[in-house]
Amino acid sequence: MRGAKARLAQQNQGYLFILPCLLMLLLILGFPAVMAVLNSFSPIWSKGFSFTLENYRRLIHDVVFWNALANTLLFVGSTVALHFVLGLAVALALNAEIRARRFFRILAILPWTVPDVISGLVWRFMYNPTSGIINDVLMKFHLTGNYIEWLGSPSLAMPSIILADAWRGYPFVMIILLAGLQAIPRTLYEAARVDGASSLQEFWHITLPNLKRMIVIALALDIIWQFRRFGLVYTMTQGGPGRTTEILSIMVYKQYFKFFNFEYASAIAVVMAIIMLAISIPYIRTIVRRA
Amino acid sequence: MLFKEVLAVKRVILFLSLVLLVSLTAMGAGTVTLTFSDWHLTEPVWEQSLKEAVAAFEAENPDIKVQLDYVSYGEKETKYTTAIEAGVGPDVMHLHAYSLRSFIEKGYLLDLTSFIEAEGATWYGADFLDPWYEATLQFMEMDGHYYALPGDFMAMVLFYNSELFKEAGLDPDKPPTTWAEFREYAKKLTRDRDGDGKIDTWGFGTPALINPGWELRFSPILFAFGADYLTPDNKFCALNTPEAIEAMKFYVELYTVDGVMPPGVTAVGAGNAREQMAREQVAMVLGCGWTPPIVNGINPDLNAFQILRAVPLPVKAGIDAEYTTTAWLSSWMINKNTKHPEEAWKLLKFITDKAQEEKWFRDNRVQSSRKDVSGGLEDPCIKGYNELLCDPFSKVIAAELTNAKFVPQIKEWPEIIEIVNIAAQEGLTGQKTVEAALKNAYDRINEILSVYREPGEACPPF
Repeated sequence: MRGAKARLAQQNQGYLFILPCLLMLLLILGFPAVMAVLNSFSPIWSKGFSFTLENYRRLIHDVVFWNALANTLLFVGSTVALHFVLGLAVALALNAEIRARRFFRILAILPWTVPDVISGLVWRFMYNPTSGIINDVLMKFHLTGNYIEWLGSPSLAMPSIILADAWRGYPFVMIILLAGLQAIPRTLYEAARVDGASSLQEFWHITLPNLKRMIVIALALDIIWQFRRFGLVYTMTQGGPGRTTEILSIMVYKQYFKFFNFEYASAIAVVMAIIMLAISIPYIRTIVRRA
Repeated sequence: MLFKEVLAVKRVILFLSLVLLVSLTAMGAGTVTLTFSDWHLTEPVWEQSLKEAVAAFEAENPDIKVQLDYVSYGEKETKYTTAIEAGVGPDVMHLHAYSLRSFIEKGYLLDLTSFIEAEGATWYGADFLDPWYEATLQFMEMDGHYYALPGDFMAMVLFYNSELFKEAGLDPDKPPTTWAEFREYAKKLTRDRDGDGKIDTWGFGTPALINPGWELRFSPILFAFGADYLTPDNKFCALNTPEAIEAMKFYVELYTVDGVMPPGVTAVGAGNAREQMAREQVAMVLGCGWTPPIVNGINPDLNAFQILRAVPLPVKAGIDAEYTTTAWLSSWMINKNTKHPEEAWKLLKFITDKAQEEKWFRDNRVQSSRKDVSGGLEDPCIKGYNELLCDPFSKVIAAELTNAKFVPQIKEWPEIIEIVNIAAQEGLTGQKTVEAALKNAYDRINEILSVYREPGEACPPF
């Protein structure tokens, strides 16, 4: 009995310690989220609360919204896949016993340290058709005779952005997977080698199953973050040419800050939040199961 | 003993700190700090000019300090909207006509009417607003209240590199006067100058990036072809006319058929087009008073003030269009959240007075919306600033003002013009035919304009 009381007291003490942080989170994250939801149903700032579904009705019939959603799904699916492939490859390389491993680990993380907007600007310069380094190299090696419009061509703009983001974003997945790789007991690999397993068999039967949980966490978080990606895409194309690279975050930005359609922008943001919540379910399940 | 000494030292330090704190407070007491925001601060030539003006203002008003707030041209609306909605923001701001109406209707700006009325009349009976062109004042007011003062007022004109003209075998004293001529000139100016088999200079540099600057370069073509964006009553989109379709086709085909613009045009902003001119990648651009100093700043070796020429924009042969170019107008305003409206008004008056407007021209080659600086556009008897009137570029720009049209001043304008910008991009990149792109734009714009129509008022067919 005394033991239970002491444990409860300790628990309450713990809650007290996290209370200021919790209050701050509620204020910084919770309040804007609640206001955005309310704003999507009513122009509360200008006219006081009056419930209407007009913004959601407009959303359903807006081809620009569906186009942006399709672009977002393409962008997220492609970048997350590339982040995973690159991240896993680099994590496996860095997990090996190689010389100057620490140096290569730092090198591998560098792209992630570059801010979104700066990455976008740098890649935009590189993609410049007449003065960018990419076309310059391709032309010097006679791989092309014409100026390729990387960001100006409807068929190349999105792949160009995906490539830029793949470079920038893979380190996040790499770090999580590297942590997972390092937690796999070496004895499993030794035993497998004794049994005559090949590298591919080791990877398939030992590495992947033991990394499953970390893969779920990395992918779930990456999907959520990629859904919100804005700076890099906006800096490179502003959603163009036409609307070929207009993703939902750019659409929200334009509706709110350029066109002053606050309520409509809030409705789009709410839909984005619902999608991200749905995506985060596997992540939450994995964390809770572990706890 | 040691303890008493330490205590004594601590007391002395505490006392001195208090004295310092009180002195600093006393020094600051009565001093008002204003925040002044302008995208021009990010341009070296303008930055210097504005800093000098601010220093002069502070010297005249020792109880007012001015903090400079830098913001990019493309993102100024975003920054100001966020700040003003949060109840803060710079005290005095500079905006382009593109978003002025939106800001007025959103209630972001301080009503200046009482300040203007308090200025009273001059000794010769002129009102405070008399020095400004009527054509510019109308955009500063809503429902009889004034919310801003006009700033730069210019018309878009054609700039060309006279040396590139000569190299291409064109007479620099005979610039194109019709858009058909312009097309032919642009083709001749698109050449491989260094003999490596690749084109390195194109005839025409223009932005097509989704950006407010795009409209300034497309509108002259649209107007010269006898077309417009909206009907005069702003109830319907007017891009369904044969003239509008022809104008957009002409613009798109300069790129897709004639190849007279550098590749990647949909990623080119106004600043990029000026860089192309500075690097001699393009021979002609549509520009304004700011063009020569910016081009000169990028590449002083080009000698922009000597080799660039400014001429009126071409016309469409066979059409007597009412307008052949578009007007640029900026404005200065006070944030409604300002805690120092009186001081902010003093700063606003200072930066828009005759002396400063002349300075803006001397330093940055931008023309004023003040008649006593830019000359009597509406009244030829009013003499302007002599240096401005004699400048070879400004003469052309001032003369073109009578052919310049303002874009519609409605709060939906930013969304409408972006839709047209996107339609142009779709045509330039071949995603859609010009007709299909314009039809799509036409439908979307009419949806937006439905707020101005009576229920049941049908849109004309495309």
